[in-house]
Amino acid sequence: MTSLFYSLREAFTNISRNGLVVLGAVLAVFVSLTLTFGTLVIGEVVRVNTLQWSEDVRVSAYLRDDVSPSGIADLQAEMESWEEVDEVFFMSKADSLDEARILLANRPAALRVIEDDPSIVPASLRIKPLDAADYQTIVTRAEATPGTLRVESAGEVIDGMISLRDGLQLMSLFLAVALGAAAVALIANTIHMAIYSRREEIEIMNLVGASNWFVRTPFLLEGAIEGFIGAALAVAVVVAGLRVAGNQLTDLPEWINIQIQSDYLLQAGALVLLFGVVAGLVGSGLSLAVHKYLKT
Amino acid sequence: MLRLENVTKIYDGGVVAVKDVALDINKGEFVFLVGPSGSGKSTLIRLMMREELPTNGEIWIAGKHASALSPWKVPQLRRSIGTVFQDFKLLPNKTVFENVAFAMEVTGKSRSSIHTQVPQVLKLVGLSAMADRYPRSLSGGEQQRVSVARAFVNRPLILLADEPTGNLDPATSVGIMRILDRINRTGTTVVMATHDHAIVDAMRRRVVQLDRGRVLRDESRGVYDSSYTETPAQPDEEAVAPDVTDDDGTTNPATAEAVLDDVAEVPAAELIEKLEAAAELEEA
Repeated sequence: MTSLFYSLREAFTNISRNGLVVLGAVLAVFVSLTLTFGTLVIGEVVRVNTLQWSEDVRVSAYLRDDVSPSGIADLQAEMESWEEVDEVFFMSKADSLDEARILLANRPAALRVIEDDPSIVPASLRIKPLDAADYQTIVTRAEATPGTLRVESAGEVIDGMISLRDGLQLMSLFLAVALGAAAVALIANTIHMAIYSRREEIEIMNLVGASNWFVRTPFLLEGAIEGFIGAALAVAVVVAGLRVAGNQLTDLPEWINIQIQSDYLLQAGALVLLFGVVAGLVGSGLSLAVHKYLKT
Repeated sequence: MLRLENVTKIYDGGVVAVKDVALDINKGEFVFLVGPSGSGKSTLIRLMMREELPTNGEIWIAGKHASALSPWKVPQLRRSIGTVFQDFKLLPNKTVFENVAFAMEVTGKSRSSIHTQVPQVLKLVGLSAMADRYPRSLSGGEQQRVSVARAFVNRPLILLADEPTGNLDPATSVGIMRILDRINRTGTTVVMATHDHAIVDAMRRRVVQLDRGRVLRDESRGVYDSSYTETPAQPDEEAVAPDVTDDDGTTNPATAEAVLDDVAEVPAAELIEKLEAAAELEEA
């Protein structure tokens, strides 16, 4: 108990004694974790948005006019049994006509064609995939199913969105790892300097028989404290930034949603704090492991 | 208390610092390690505090097999050894009291025992009045006395001193020797590496003379010089640094003998009294 108190006191003495070096380390952790956390948050925004958008992905299977209502019900039941499929909705000829009138509102020539003969607008089954990425399988299966006239989906757009989503996630992961490693290295460097500046004390501690943990704990605590402070600043800045962005960017297109679940923020924020502490411990641990003044 | 069996120490790069040394030092002995620079005195001291491991041979320190001790047990071993160096190794940002207390703090001693023992030891070395001073405001002799106090505050079984008077003038050196003698009289084994002829000659304690890493002479009530030092240099061996102790920093033999003879004859209680009187004089 006394020695824990001692270690904490020593850690804080160190921090106050080497103000500039410590400031450097805290800023380094702050900057890298702000970027890491920021990337995570942006990644979440992208995920939420692509999620919302991929909710809207539908494969449209247009039906031949000669399929009977019971045949349509059979088709719908069959498609719903496919493992890639979430739900299947039926759009009657009348519903499809209404939709076509809206979609073709600014294309008068095409509109005239369907107004001349409304019966050419086919009924269709709208298939909602479980995973937007599986749309191609559904298209192929639907095309092979008797009774379908033509199967359509927004293929290239879907592929584009999916690769954008995956790319952004990969990039944010890469950034998070790289910046996290930088934070660890910078803390290691700070602790290295702290050990160097206290080498006389450490030498005497070793001479009079202070235990290894007694010598090392203050440095581990110092690293953890620096990592924690940097991480806390990073979390505060990102959360504040998100608030400001939410208030300022009111005229974004409605398909972009920058609101993030507070659950996610809480979880990711706690993770970033934990990472800051762990980065501090790992950094000072690395430094302690290589330092020649600590050899016994 | 200290036992070295056929100890050889070869540093990286092939420098043979200590060669085939066998030494037995009993509890309560006072031993001088003498010899020219490069003769292996400091290496022996470092081996005795397990700062270095022998390349060959076995070492026992305070009943523990030091040369086979696992690293994590070293701190415990160090608590039975006090160390004093030529350069004092005091912490400049701590007061005299704090410097001495540091040795107790970092070995987990209670606050109350620190507050009873540190003043006692400061009194022993005659620095009671300077407890709140910082090392930079002390003379070299005073700094070395702080260092001795720190080495002794945990009541070690063994006190190792590597040229403790190397940076001090003759009169000041005598003061340090009085304290080491006093500590020895409490039953603490003292091993001191030194260049100082006058001190060795005046104290008449066991003298182990080293030359090029070997024990040349081991006498129970020896002096610094003897015919053995006249060993002609071997032409095929590497040149060692010459013995420069004649040129600088040696104590005036007459003064040293007078003071130390005086000290050697007084019983412990009387010695403390004398030391206290000296301390009070300095305080005044």
